[in-house]
Amino acid sequence: MRSSSYPSTPPMSVTAPPARRATRALLVLALAAGLTATVPAAMASSPAAARTSTAPTTARAAVAAPAQKPFMGWSSWSMQSSKYPGLNPDGDYSYLTEKNVLTQAGALASKLKKYGYEYVNIDAGWWRDTTWKPEFDGYGRQAPDPVRFPRGMKPVADDIHAKGLKAGIYLPAGLEKEAYGAGKVPVWNAPGCTTADIVHGDLRTTNGWDSAYKLDFSRPCAQKYIDSQAQMFADWGYDFLKLDGVGPGSFKSGDNYDNVADTAAWQKAIATAGRPIHFELSWSLDINHAADWKKYSNGWRIDTDVECYCNTLVSWENSVDDRWADVAGWTRHAGPGGWNDLDSLDVGNGAMDGLTKAERQSYATLWAIAKSPLYTGDDLTRLDDYGVSLLTNREVIALNQGSTPPARPITASGDQQVWSAKNADGSYTVALFNLGNGPAAVTADWSSLGFSGQGAVRDLWNKENLGTYKDKVTQALPAHGSRLFTVTPHGPAQQMTGYEAESAANTLSGNAGIGDCAACSGGHKVGNLYQGGKLQFNNIVVPKAGRYVINVAYISGDARPAQISANGNGATGLKFPSTGDWGTVETVGVPVTLKAGSNTVTFDSGDGYAPDIDRIDVPKLS
Amino acid sequence: MDDQNTDSSPRRPSRRDILSLAAAAGAFTALGSLPAFAATAPAARPSESPLLPEASTTRFWYPAPASDTAMIEQGLPIGNGRLGALTGNDPSRELLLLTDATLWTGGRNAVLDADGQFPYARENFGSFTLLGRLTVDIPDHDLSAVSDYRRDLDISQGIVSSSYVRSGVTYERQIFASHPDDAIVLHFSQRGGGRYTGTVTLAGTHDETTTTDGARTYASFGAAFPDGGLRYGAAVTAYSSTGTVTTDGARISFAGCKDLTVVVSGGTNYAPDAAAGYRDPALDPQKLARSKVLTAARHPFTSLLHSHVADHRALFDRMGISLGESSSVQRGLDTWERVRARARDGEADPELEASYLQFGRYLMIAGSRDSLPLNLQGLWLDGNDPDWMGDYHTDINIQMNYWMADRAGLSSSFDASADYCLAQLPSWTELTRTLFNDPRNRHRNSSGKIAGWTVAISTNIHGGGGWWWHPAGNAWLSNSLFEHYEYTQDAAYLARIHPLLKGACEFWEARLLTTTVTDPATGKDREVLIADSDWSPEHGPLDAKGITYAQELVRALFENYRTACAVLGRDSGHSRTIASLQERLYLPQVSPKTGWLEEWMSPDNLGETTHRHLSPLIGLFPGDRIRPDGSTPKAVVDGATALLTARGMESFGWANAWRSLCWARLKNADKAYQLVVNNLRPSIGGTNGTAMNLFDIYEVSTGRGIFQIESNFGTSAAMIEMLVYSRPGHIELLPALPDAWARSGSVTGVGVRGGFVIDLRWRDGKVTEARLRSVGGRSTTVSYGGVSRALSLKPGGSVTLRDFSR
Repeated sequence: MRSSSYPSTPPMSVTAPPARRATRALLVLALAAGLTATVPAAMASSPAAARTSTAPTTARAAVAAPAQKPFMGWSSWSMQSSKYPGLNPDGDYSYLTEKNVLTQAGALASKLKKYGYEYVNIDAGWWRDTTWKPEFDGYGRQAPDPVRFPRGMKPVADDIHAKGLKAGIYLPAGLEKEAYGAGKVPVWNAPGCTTADIVHGDLRTTNGWDSAYKLDFSRPCAQKYIDSQAQMFADWGYDFLKLDGVGPGSFKSGDNYDNVADTAAWQKAIATAGRPIHFELSWSLDINHAADWKKYSNGWRIDTDVECYCNTLVSWENSVDDRWADVAGWTRHAGPGGWNDLDSLDVGNGAMDGLTKAERQSYATLWAIAKSPLYTGDDLTRLDDYGVSLLTNREVIALNQGSTPPARPITASGDQQVWSAKNADGSYTVALFNLGNGPAAVTADWSSLGFSGQGAVRDLWNKENLGTYKDKVTQALPAHGSRLFTVTPHGPAQQMTGYEAESAANTLSGNAGIGDCAACSGGHKVGNLYQGGKLQFNNIVVPKAGRYVINVAYISGDARPAQISANGNGATGLKFPSTGDWGTVETVGVPVTLKAGSNTVTFDSGDGYAPDIDRIDVPKLS
Repeated sequence: MDDQNTDSSPRRPSRRDILSLAAAAGAFTALGSLPAFAATAPAARPSESPLLPEASTTRFWYPAPASDTAMIEQGLPIGNGRLGALTGNDPSRELLLLTDATLWTGGRNAVLDADGQFPYARENFGSFTLLGRLTVDIPDHDLSAVSDYRRDLDISQGIVSSSYVRSGVTYERQIFASHPDDAIVLHFSQRGGGRYTGTVTLAGTHDETTTTDGARTYASFGAAFPDGGLRYGAAVTAYSSTGTVTTDGARISFAGCKDLTVVVSGGTNYAPDAAAGYRDPALDPQKLARSKVLTAARHPFTSLLHSHVADHRALFDRMGISLGESSSVQRGLDTWERVRARARDGEADPELEASYLQFGRYLMIAGSRDSLPLNLQGLWLDGNDPDWMGDYHTDINIQMNYWMADRAGLSSSFDASADYCLAQLPSWTELTRTLFNDPRNRHRNSSGKIAGWTVAISTNIHGGGGWWWHPAGNAWLSNSLFEHYEYTQDAAYLARIHPLLKGACEFWEARLLTTTVTDPATGKDREVLIADSDWSPEHGPLDAKGITYAQELVRALFENYRTACAVLGRDSGHSRTIASLQERLYLPQVSPKTGWLEEWMSPDNLGETTHRHLSPLIGLFPGDRIRPDGSTPKAVVDGATALLTARGMESFGWANAWRSLCWARLKNADKAYQLVVNNLRPSIGGTNGTAMNLFDIYEVSTGRGIFQIESNFGTSAAMIEMLVYSRPGHIELLPALPDAWARSGSVTGVGVRGGFVIDLRWRDGKVTEARLRSVGGRSTTVSYGGVSRALSLKPGGSVTLRDFSR
């Protein structure tokens, strides 16, 4: 069995997910706990037996396709969620007010709009007061808190539009418990429908916090409820909706937390609401449902919140640094119409962000090359010079917004990594990362990119040409640092000699065995490399001794390690990035030292679980 | 300013003269004056460049700076014998962790614990600590913004350098610790029109306050440890031919400088004089440091550089080694990759291995000159809480620190060790006289008598001991000091240490017990002398009489003392008394149960089979009572071999080095070499082995590795011992040459006991040429391939031997 990309917790359990990811979930659980007292009365009035819901599969986006590029803008949540002094003087999350939103919109318009930043996204709490008590209209729909948004939500959107920007808003998945109103609350524009008609009879709860009743889309009133919310946002003039707590994901799994039908309903509702609305899903969406997210939305958060809920906006360990491992398997799912959302890009002010310069650059680099939406959560009135340079580098933004596909790792996922994507003009985007806690050199080998000889290196962050480098480029990176290059080949394509894993010439031991593989060259792979399973390629002939970066084509639904050795010498333990599922082949470069003549190269699972191997390609060195 | 004119020498000395002048000056200082932080004579300023072309240097290189949180493993060490630093080499923030060999907390520590042993904590015994942190911040040179970074440690010239490109300008940096100028010098230069702007910050690590002097552009601090502790201080200055250099609060600021030179120095008022309480009350270290940096700053950088390199080369060039050629693939790797490849690919890397030996010599030159000897950390720290206080451990570590010195052409580096012992001797004697027979001390003399001196397992710099009493430690220290005489044949030196040897003998005269043993061969009883209750380091019973460790050490001590008396014409009566004791000393037998040489006068194995210490084999190495040449009973050699085999091949740093030396003595090249290779394994995540900066790391607990410098020296000594074995009157060539080095190689300047220096060449595993020079020795035999040649030489004379075909 494969595991999902997030740690799952049993429904209704108070067991915390692993600590570093738990903050958001625990926090909102705590908030929700105070509200559960209103639930029991509703339980008794539940009229209908539960029925299995099935997601409508015929819905298609009818509006002009949004999200042809990753969106750019600002989100309120980073500052709402931070304990940075002065941000939330009236209690947790109190930063979210009309005044603050419009102040940030003004700063976005004056400082960043010309670089492409356009969305001003209001996150959770616009319908809740400072004690987190919600407001609803007469139709069970969230209504603006009069203290936070005294003029309501439409004037805010209007003011944002007046600055030439777009407005975004937020909702949790499901019918919030407090909106249920004993099941008697009418649904807007749906005669005969009340809240009792849109949920399951047993009032099963859903979303990442269990703060809502799961909608039952086998009942037509449920779609009507979503339609009513979508129409409200369209009427207010919002251009963007983040639906949060969506499962499978949001640290939840199981039927109650399957919100695929919700996302389908939203897509359908938006299509008929009369206003294009970018539809973004959150958080830690299950990669096994990637096809659903692509079908119904314009973007999906692949991970938990980037925010640390601490004295800064974020911190490196909690949880910026998780994303290098977590986004790799998602890479191929990103494209026009829907993108892998890595969450807020909080690199604008070092002191507030809680990050070093190197960390901020690496953060911005990954977001840019992974083609994540670029929305900062910083206080745009307090950007520092370095933050401005990171957020406004036109070459980097062009990479994110242009036609280059999302980059993926081309090395194993240790502390030193190289990510790459081929650009339309034949050049390569190459990012070097050092995720280690001290400085380290990182090398990008041209052979892993597919060419040999000289390559010209353009440094995007430093905006200068570094000259040409033969065979590879090595640079020293600070702790948690990065470099972002465009490499233009000046040499020929790298010639390779391929060796299939399933070849009879190889030696398999332990559990290792040959399996069918549609995506693999030759239609076969070697799998079951676990607990002693070993694959040895024999008779790999090279004319001269040296370091060879061999391309390893592999399949690994989750990130897995293997011990790799040549000629029975000492092994190097490398972790292969996730390919996202067990049907997709990816390739990384693995350095081995070969001698002149015949060699062996061995992939040993040791006492763990190694990836399945499709083939290896050995560069022909000139 | 023309400082070359300050040299009043009537003629321009040649480079050779400069080198020998520097060497002579070093020797004079070491023997003629107290090693202390003191005003230095004007530095010799060579008129010709002593710099080597890069291709002729021995260097290590790295493609990234050190992590400032892993400096002990990644920082590159420099030192002038007293003043040292680990350097980080980050472009935007050069970091130097500054040390002075004498900067210790603590005091004499002369009140025993309830068990009659010494307290052993930082607050009483004290600890070696950092002098300060020097940082040079250059904000525009963020590592994320520079390209083609590289840093090097050139051990042949004693220079750390780094270079990188920023916006088309190549920036270069050189750092060294100068003995002639008694200061650390940092030089920042560039090619391509660049400028340096930034700050220099000197900070203490014990809450000192740094102040600046704007008129003379320096920053300094001074302080004293409480309760009669040491005074200490440091100072830094900076200068440039362009731009501005000014003081700015507690820092020095520079702006728009095409080049920049920074000079830092510091020290303490430690005095190696028991009578003065190990303090020089008249010395103001802050003032002296300031004077040194301002004096040095009167000279252009090139002048400081040339003085330093000439001085360094005078020592470094005394020994050369080639163990064969490495492959072009190996040569292309950075040093850390190369260390990892050596372990991963299992292929010998003769140039790396030879360089590793030379690195040991580099550390010896940098860490042991005109001051205190190398401690557990050598001269280098990354914090103020080094394990075991960074002290002097007398049950292997300080001895191993110096096994290499004479062998590796660095006899003068040994002096710090002898100076230390002699300066501590009055205090050690007093502590022994007043405290050793404390009734609570389980190791006291049951005779009730007391004489002479001994030490604790740990010793500090204030005349004090720490942890447990170590009765046989006096013999081991004495034997180490005597062995230096064997190499140099320097009678004046022997006269200096004679009182120390004599005091150790007197201690044992009062301590030895008489007992009766049955000779296993003859079945006859005989009376023998054995050591009183003691602990064989550092395992097994705490109270065993006649431990092999003590018996072997005392036997050698008596032998050495008698030799000293004969050479010096002193104490002939006492020498005869000692000879009569020596005759009666019990020597270990081979256990009929285990087949091992016994450790505890017992046939049983009472300790840990694979224990790190080789205490019962001390007669094999460093002693040479046990010889595999027919002069020692075969049963004893076999017993020693069996014990060494049982101890295993998988220990760590110094324990592997000691094993390697023993196997070299047994002429087992494969095992001796394998243990060297084991120590060359890369230390990853604190595991045993070699760190990025080639410091040896011991994994003291899972995931926590600590630096123990004696492993570097012990491993280097083992490599030499594999090439040349010597004892007075006897030299053996290539006793344990491993296959990996056999194809061709050479070594020059190796010291041999008996007062000679040897150069050696070999090809296909066979000696092709040997050249022997006398540094005081007159006769020896040279043995190779089963053939011995007797040679006679006058001091200063030399002879070349060829035709070694069997």
